[in-house]
Amino acid sequence: MDFSLSKEQLMIQGMAKEFAEKYIEPVAEQIDRENKIPDNILKGLAELDLFGIPYDEAYGGADGGYDGYVLAMEQIGKASGGVAMTISAHSLALSAISFFGTEELKKKYMTPSCKGEHIASFAFTEPATGSDPKSLTTTAKKVGNEYVINGTKRFISNANWPGVIVVFAIDDQTNKPSAFLIDKLCEGYSISEPWDKIGMHGGMLLDVYLNDVKVPLENMLGGPSMGYPILQCGISFGKVGVSSTALGGTLAAYEEAMKYATEKMHRDAPIAKFQAMQLRLADLAIKYETARWMTYRLGWLANNVKDPRAFARDAALTKTFVCDNMVDCARIAMDVHGSYGLMNDYKISRIWKDSIIGPQIEGVADMQKMIVAGVNLAERK
Amino acid sequence: MATFMIYSSKEKQALELITAAKSVGAAAVKAVCINDEAQANALAAAGAEVLLINNDAISLADVAAVASALGQVAAQLGADTILLSSDRRGKEAAGRLAAILDAGCLTDISAIKANGDKIECQRNALGGATVATQYIASDKKIIAIRPKTFDAPGAGSGSVNAMTVDVKASAVKLIETKTRGGDSVDIEAAEALVVVGQGLNSKDDLPAVEALAKKLGGEVACSKPVATDKKWLSEERIVGLSGKKCKPELAIILGISGQVQFTVGIRDAKVIVAVNSDENATINGMADYILTADMHDVIKEMNSSL
Amino acid sequence: MNIVVAMKQVPDLQQVRIRNREPVFTDVPLVLGNIDKNALEAAVAIKESGDANVIALSAGNEDVEDTIKEALAAGADEAFLVLDDKLNGAESGVVAQVLAAAVKKIDDVGLILFGEGSGDNYSGQVGSRVAELLGLPQVAYASALELKGDKALVTRSLEDCTEIVEVTLPAVVTVLSDINEARIPSVTQILKAGKKPKEVLELDEVGVKIPPAASVVTVSNLAPETERKRIVVKSVAELIQSLTTEGVIGR
Repeated sequence: MDFSLSKEQLMIQGMAKEFAEKYIEPVAEQIDRENKIPDNILKGLAELDLFGIPYDEAYGGADGGYDGYVLAMEQIGKASGGVAMTISAHSLALSAISFFGTEELKKKYMTPSCKGEHIASFAFTEPATGSDPKSLTTTAKKVGNEYVINGTKRFISNANWPGVIVVFAIDDQTNKPSAFLIDKLCEGYSISEPWDKIGMHGGMLLDVYLNDVKVPLENMLGGPSMGYPILQCGISFGKVGVSSTALGGTLAAYEEAMKYATEKMHRDAPIAKFQAMQLRLADLAIKYETARWMTYRLGWLANNVKDPRAFARDAALTKTFVCDNMVDCARIAMDVHGSYGLMNDYKISRIWKDSIIGPQIEGVADMQKMIVAGVNLAERK
Repeated sequence: MATFMIYSSKEKQALELITAAKSVGAAAVKAVCINDEAQANALAAAGAEVLLINNDAISLADVAAVASALGQVAAQLGADTILLSSDRRGKEAAGRLAAILDAGCLTDISAIKANGDKIECQRNALGGATVATQYIASDKKIIAIRPKTFDAPGAGSGSVNAMTVDVKASAVKLIETKTRGGDSVDIEAAEALVVVGQGLNSKDDLPAVEALAKKLGGEVACSKPVATDKKWLSEERIVGLSGKKCKPELAIILGISGQVQFTVGIRDAKVIVAVNSDENATINGMADYILTADMHDVIKEMNSSL
Repeated sequence: MNIVVAMKQVPDLQQVRIRNREPVFTDVPLVLGNIDKNALEAAVAIKESGDANVIALSAGNEDVEDTIKEALAAGADEAFLVLDDKLNGAESGVVAQVLAAAVKKIDDVGLILFGEGSGDNYSGQVGSRVAELLGLPQVAYASALELKGDKALVTRSLEDCTEIVEVTLPAVVTVLSDINEARIPSVTQILKAGKKPKEVLELDEVGVKIPPAASVVTVSNLAPETERKRIVVKSVAELIQSLTTEGVIGR
């Protein structure tokens, strides 16, 4: 066991850090305020291959593995949760396509996405359900050589950008969910205004309305009735991104607390001299280190998924811990800041608002725990 | 006993090198001047034994020729300890001359001290994080000393003698020299500095800052962004790693948070005052006096009370 | 034409910690110096606007083989390395001899570029030393660089003026950090760096012997003591009172 990074991994981490510090960090507050990522940031991310790190070169990816993806996403998430969330949701869709897509579908949809010309979306959630396949109301009706899709999808990341969207709908041929690849902004596709959510601004959530959207038969992903396995598997990969984003936020909370504690003076001494602050700084360090190694390991596991159920469990337990942990760290760092932390002038206020997003998205924490227990109990002889 | 030789393309810095050589026990100081009779006379009047090279084939823009000339003189004099000014011309020549003489070389020296037969030199290392004390152990030594580390020497009675050297045909041709626009301020020489940073609201606030500097008998200086990004002050006034390293008696630092790239340029000031609206600014950690207030109010109030 | 960019492996200064005033290098990753990256960028810019092959040259311990990937990712076409543990932390004079000997082994060298100073030591000697050892003209402190046939037009930025000089190639040029903004390599470029051609020589293959005695001896290398008073004053009047007592105003 050697917990060290290769030169290439260090370089990917360093590259993302440099880009995040030079270009994202200076506008992070603006992204938060305007809920919009400037075009030059998206262009920069694309040029550095950050929209396609783990994917095969044959489909426009950088072939940098999910371990490289985790390292880069941590640095981006540290600068702006919203930017990281955008890439994370995009990668969730691409991972599903990469895992289940035919050669043709992968070539057609992954290539522009990996290059950052398109930003992908993944749409399971509806007004009535977040994860229950039996409650889906979106329908796919086979008409000749096409499926015609109707329904409403809720809280869909990146729905406003051109690119592919993975849509789950009840297949009228099997009465079970199938997954379809649809070009966003096609005829019959429309979107709501972005939801005004609490944090991770810049990563927009919108509702998607599908009104007689026609897709060719070959755009069904993974075959008929594969919707639920695709959801479970895709979302496991999605948790790699969500965990990395939260890890970056955790690091940001830790660094902000360290900075504040060593600068803020009380009775002529920096507050870091006081034991109460030291205990908090130690807690932050412990929590960051724990989350870090869990997330890095998940990246490595994602590179070599042999047993999707075991991976689903590892992704679920990592995501649960790391996201809850970010909430704890944001709170501790907030306590280090005292009343100053309440002011939007201090980055910790943004981290605090961002932190609560993680535990609620891509399966709430309770759902994750059910996956963990479910897999473990099933494996018990 | 070491034989000292000094050279700088600038008269003021050459004079300082005479003092530097004497501070480490030089009985006599040999000075080289290239195509600069005025400097030769000035150095002689400060007690140096000047060797004046008049040779049109040597252009200062061609450091190969300059280093070659210096190497020839050093050989003729048997000079073993050569002090150069650590300005850019001096540093460029230092490495070249070191290769000619097979000498150990230290540049950017901010202090020298004789310790037995060694000359201990101080310089910033690791990007300003540390200060290294080093000495040269080889027979031939080249030490490039930062401008203003030493004062000019008093009067003395030296001499000027002509010297001839041979230099090769130059592969470097000077096309054009552009002097830096207008501002000839020397913030390193100022006794007091009023240093402004990004806390400055606009260029219109500068006259009040200048007035304060004047009242304190000093100059206005700034952090890098004020000059390079906003262009409110000239680059001559930048304090920091990529600017000047100053050690005034008094530095009043207004509206600067205090990153190391900046503080390395001012940390040697005798008394540092930090004025910042953020009571948690890093700069406060390295200040003698901390005033948490709006810098613009402070400038106004100081101007009216001084 | 080959453009050689001399690059130095240094500890990542952002990660060097200070403990009891001593710098701590344990577990600090090794990287290429920042200004070296500007030199590389200058070379790659010339390559992109004309026809040149960019060779990253470095001397150091075996870790350089990994560290040099940074240059190969950022646009160097190949690497030329002289590796020996004894070169780790070797002084300027020795490094210059090794680099000069290495350059002699490379054909058709038109330009040899350096950063104006290394990331860690910043003494700015090696470029000048190499130029002298190779008998080449040089221009240091370049803030602009342009090739014109067998000559280079270089802007040398001095304290009080800038000079535009024309230098006959081959020549040594050392660059300032503001000559350009070094590009950030993409993930793909990072992952392909290790596959680019690389020539690795040992110290005796370039015929340089390291002298037994160092020419420069370091007595100490400590963080400066910053014992400041840190007195919080409440008003301008109080400040002026204190500064008057210090004797720094009202002299």
